[in-house]
Amino acid sequence: MLNQDNFWQHNKAVLLFALVALTMPLWFPIMGGYSGLDTKIMIFCIFVVGFDILLGFTGYLSFGHAAFFGISAYVTGIMLKSFSDNIIPAILVAVLAATVVAVIIGLLTLKRTGIYFSILTLAFAEMFDSMAMSMLQKWTGGENGLTGMPTPMLFNLKMQGDTVFYFVTFMAIFLFYMAKRIERSPVGLMMKAIKCNQTRLEFTGINARKYKLLAFVISAVYAAIAGALMVVYEPFVGHEFLGWHQSGEVVIMSVIGGVGTLVGPMLGAGFMLYFENVLSVDLGEQWLLVLGAIFMAVVVFMPGGFMEGIARLKKRYFTTVDGE
Amino acid sequence: MAILDIHQVSLSFGGLKALQNVNLKIEKGTTHALIGPNGAGKSTLLNVLTGMLKPDDGSVMFDGKPLLNVNSFDINQLGIAKVFQTPAVFPEMTVLQNVTIPVFAARDGSFNLNMFEGRAKQRPLIEFAEQQICELGLEKHMYSLAGSLSRGDKRRLEMAICLANKPRLLLLDEPTAGMARHETEKTIELLNSMQDGITKVIVEHDMNVVFSLAEKISVLAQGQIIAEGTPDEIKGHPKVIEAYLGEAQV
Repeated sequence: MLNQDNFWQHNKAVLLFALVALTMPLWFPIMGGYSGLDTKIMIFCIFVVGFDILLGFTGYLSFGHAAFFGISAYVTGIMLKSFSDNIIPAILVAVLAATVVAVIIGLLTLKRTGIYFSILTLAFAEMFDSMAMSMLQKWTGGENGLTGMPTPMLFNLKMQGDTVFYFVTFMAIFLFYMAKRIERSPVGLMMKAIKCNQTRLEFTGINARKYKLLAFVISAVYAAIAGALMVVYEPFVGHEFLGWHQSGEVVIMSVIGGVGTLVGPMLGAGFMLYFENVLSVDLGEQWLLVLGAIFMAVVVFMPGGFMEGIARLKKRYFTTVDGE
Repeated sequence: MAILDIHQVSLSFGGLKALQNVNLKIEKGTTHALIGPNGAGKSTLLNVLTGMLKPDDGSVMFDGKPLLNVNSFDINQLGIAKVFQTPAVFPEMTVLQNVTIPVFAARDGSFNLNMFEGRAKQRPLIEFAEQQICELGLEKHMYSLAGSLSRGDKRRLEMAICLANKPRLLLLDEPTAGMARHETEKTIELLNSMQDGITKVIVEHDMNVVFSLAEKISVLAQGQIIAEGTPDEIKGHPKVIEAYLGEAQV
């Protein structure tokens, strides 16, 4: 416990992530990754790190986080189009809007646990999806999606190419650092206790519902930031941003990477997007089948995801006396 | 002075009257046992005290404050802790983390937004938790996962969790159920050695445990209190014998 108090121990993961992320433009193209995909991976890193605060810490599996991602993306798009091409007010308003929605959905869905919670969140997300396709068509563009945004600007800086990548990457590093801070805080401990034994927690004087809502809203804020950055990255919003497919993808990324580890889901996001966009070309039409098989293999043989695999390798080859 | 005052509490599940006009006063600082045959309403009464069940009628006062329609966590914050029949701990957390939770709960109340509080500020609290763990003799398991402990050690850990936020009233629901004899003896020892001033209400089937711990005993049968007194008074009480063994043959 004591040796964890120093700076290096606390921020090892964050520094390592920063190193890997910031050097990505150097090594990613060698692996066949096209420029721009690295930005998308960073955006999804933000999404899944936030998602892990909910799923990994409290154990609540949401199938509706695309709602916050999509709402934020739409609001960002509309703001850029009709208010100002500066991304700062657009992102702020978008995240605020998604947060308000998250508080309402959270209050309603967190009354239930397990599968009922998952279904409720899915239902809410689908509601927003169908709203975007019908009554809100005028603003969302319906089937065609929201287009016609000007080039997003960060004050005087054009958000294109590498600028977007570094902006997104710095956000991802900062938000990962924040998530690590939350994990170490008393709040993080309470959230993890919810997953372990909620009854005991309540009988230990803790209002579990408030902590659950907090985790839900924090994860929604992360999803919303990711959604807004998606529009900065590519000035287009389609209704699939809100769809269950999007929510499901985030769940798969988290599970494949290792739920509850914060780092794992980011590995999962990187792997999934790399697979979908690069390896799928080599695999042809069967790529989804292969992805499904990989997912099943991970769940069956490594329920802790990639992180469990890494831990096993570490144990086999680098076992130290204190085990840490 | 009574720390807990249960007044005319009634509760029925459908047609079953689980509790009927129960009146019970628990004196401050005493160990009070609740005994009775299966289905007498002992656990139901404990669940009423912890906010799990709402009675149809009656009132419960703890240290002058009403307990009915209060959330479980608020009841705990008032100073009532409960030890469950099956030890309730946080299995995927270390023993230290398990005990740190109530220490935070004592400092921060039922909710606090301190989500960026660093380890340095938590240090004195973690040290206090470590001390609590040592006091209950679990120091060699400090960093073990709670789920990996033996049943007896889990019980000890649960006690550590309950005692860490300094309760004034400790409710114990069959703390020795399913334990081997040496574990039962250890638990009795633990309960007897507990710091003074904590009032204890214990539901127990094992009469050895009851007679070695309790200063006062209340007997419940069919949702009613049929007898109350010191262990010696209860031992020979005709109503108690009747409740346990059925009507005496004449």
